[in-house]
Amino acid sequence: MRISKLISGAFLLAGAAASQAQSLPVFKIGVVTAATGAAATIAAPANQAIELYREQLAALKNLPFKVEFIQYDDASDPTKSVNLVRKLIQEDGAAMVVCCTTTPSSLAVAKVAEDAQTATIAMAASAAVVEPASEKRYMFKTPITERLMINHTLDYMVKQGVKTLSFLGLEDAYGEGGWIELKALAEKKGIKIVSSERFARQDTNFTPQALKTVQAKADAVYIHAIPPSASLVHEALKRVGYRGPIYHGAGAPTAAFITIGKSAVEGAIVGATPITVYKDLRADNPLSKSIGEFVKAFDGKYGAGKAEIFATQGYDAVGLAVDTVKRYVTSGKKGDLAQMRKDLRDELEKTHEYAGSVGIFNYTPTDHVGLDKRTLFLVQVKDGQFRMIKD
Amino acid sequence: MDSSTAVFLGVDGVTNGAVYALVALSLVLVYTTTRVVNVAQGDYLTFGALSFASLAAGSLTPLVYLVLGAGVVAMAIDMRRAITYKRNPLAPLAKYLVAGIVLVGLTLLASRSQSMFLQMVAALLLVSSMGPVIYQLTVEPNPGNPPIVLLTCSVGVTLILHPLGLLLWGSDSRTVNPISDLRLSLGGVDLAMQSVLIVGAALVMTVALFAFFRYSLHGKALRAASINRDGALYCGVPVGTVGRLSYFIAAGMSALSGMLLAPLVTANYEMGFAVGLKGFVGAVLGGLVTYPLSLAGVFVVGVFESFSAFFSSAFRDAWVFALVIPILLWRNASHGDDLDEH
Repeated sequence: MRISKLISGAFLLAGAAASQAQSLPVFKIGVVTAATGAAATIAAPANQAIELYREQLAALKNLPFKVEFIQYDDASDPTKSVNLVRKLIQEDGAAMVVCCTTTPSSLAVAKVAEDAQTATIAMAASAAVVEPASEKRYMFKTPITERLMINHTLDYMVKQGVKTLSFLGLEDAYGEGGWIELKALAEKKGIKIVSSERFARQDTNFTPQALKTVQAKADAVYIHAIPPSASLVHEALKRVGYRGPIYHGAGAPTAAFITIGKSAVEGAIVGATPITVYKDLRADNPLSKSIGEFVKAFDGKYGAGKAEIFATQGYDAVGLAVDTVKRYVTSGKKGDLAQMRKDLRDELEKTHEYAGSVGIFNYTPTDHVGLDKRTLFLVQVKDGQFRMIKD
Repeated sequence: MDSSTAVFLGVDGVTNGAVYALVALSLVLVYTTTRVVNVAQGDYLTFGALSFASLAAGSLTPLVYLVLGAGVVAMAIDMRRAITYKRNPLAPLAKYLVAGIVLVGLTLLASRSQSMFLQMVAALLLVSSMGPVIYQLTVEPNPGNPPIVLLTCSVGVTLILHPLGLLLWGSDSRTVNPISDLRLSLGGVDLAMQSVLIVGAALVMTVALFAFFRYSLHGKALRAASINRDGALYCGVPVGTVGRLSYFIAAGMSALSGMLLAPLVTANYEMGFAVGLKGFVGAVLGGLVTYPLSLAGVFVVGVFESFSAFFSSAFRDAWVFALVIPILLWRNASHGDDLDEH
């Protein structure tokens, strides 16, 4: 008798818990990254970070809503990205989308996001992904744009008295994005670009380009690439006898850059986000806490020293999406899926002082990058470590 | 452009061309013995470099499990065939067991030892063993296939192997220590000892292969097997093992190329593709059939690439691949009725 009572009681409780869980609103967040293909190197850390965020979210009890992630791989192919985002919106019923790893994919997806009126957060570097904000109302992004970073780097170069500059960049969308911004900004700041060389990530030899660059005799060299090629080009420059300062874009501040370049990259000046120097931030900076927690969790899961710039871009993309959902739920707005997507977009645009792992986000109707000076740092390789350059 | 720059680019081009040489030789070897244009040759290079990197880092390469798994499948096929032909099915079983034990033992030993030589040998054997198994699964089921079908099959193999590399090792680049850290200065050009070793390996392999196929009976038998399969069978050439053997050697050569290259550009899952393509361009100069000409071909490609990268770096690959057209025209004009090119 007592046992049967216990059991029925347990069933009642379980039933209550289940109905409680069912009554929570469920939000589907679609994620598309380049897990395979040419951009896999950039997408892999981002995917790990997204996985970490999902675990952290699952561990949170008493959230007033449930989030379901649906993740696909676009194989670094813009056509696939478009099809997958369509699938997420039309078939899977995603409320928000996180896509894509590369700039070409994100540019292609922008139109889909606009047509379906679904907020999409990209992890691509170029400003073109979210500009102009009046036309790309539904596109947002987490990485620092090349424009902000290169602008910051050039300002520093001007201070150092650089008059002429040589450019070396990847011959893909990433390198092209850097070249376009550098050309425009350098002209404004009165720095003359005297040579521009290209290389591919899989090249086995960078000596000819390095030789050409040295013969251009510029005051400084700017390399826009990611490791391993960023380190290998740097090393080739040193080998053919270049002695001037070498600058790198924000794709380079990773541990791999130093392990591959070894002593050759000593003295390199690299554009970086706070994650590279979070230990040197002042304690009252909200980022020192948020990044510290992220690094601890990420390194705890994947191994020491693994938390880096590309991981932060994925982590903040899902972080911002879930933060938006949170605010939407507390605002008490209701509506069908189409209305909810619009409301979520409006809510995302109101993001204010969100301290993530990339930086502090403030989206506005005219700014869908949301990052400012507080996210820009220059670091220099000293004794095999990235050290902040104090202005 | 002064003379010292030209010398610099020339030397640089030769060392760079040597990187493609072993892959080009592997392509020629496979084509002359089986008539397969093996597109997947670059993937063996990747697997060799990454296995070596794994073993050097003191971990077991994940490739071991894959090779063992595929080996079991190959063994089952061989045993079934033995039963069909009323032969002793235990003979293939014994062969595969021995091979498996040797591979596992060597890999275990290499991952625990500090000896670079041992690690290289283990990785080399591991990747080489992929060759015969892949041959058995993709070429043997229908030995009379025309070259175009075989080519399509090898495209299929590369479509499987390429993502497999990503799956097994992830997308991170791994640094690998060179055999020697020495740097030489040659007429104002700074050379890594590693590059010199690559050039040396290319020359040695070319001479060895050329001599083997030209002067030894075994080599002649291998060539005969590809020119006329049935005729070779009637003369007592074991055609079945010929293909497996050449796949084994070719996979090993490409893997060696990867291990020598990895210290210069790091080991990552994408490294083989571009090298494979450029090796192919070089091998085309030799019509995919002659070793010395293919070696000359890769040096032409390397030097041409160096100069293109210096003058218009954005188009250097386009120039290199455009090189195929004059090469083909020249070959056609001079070897129009060559027996080797049906």
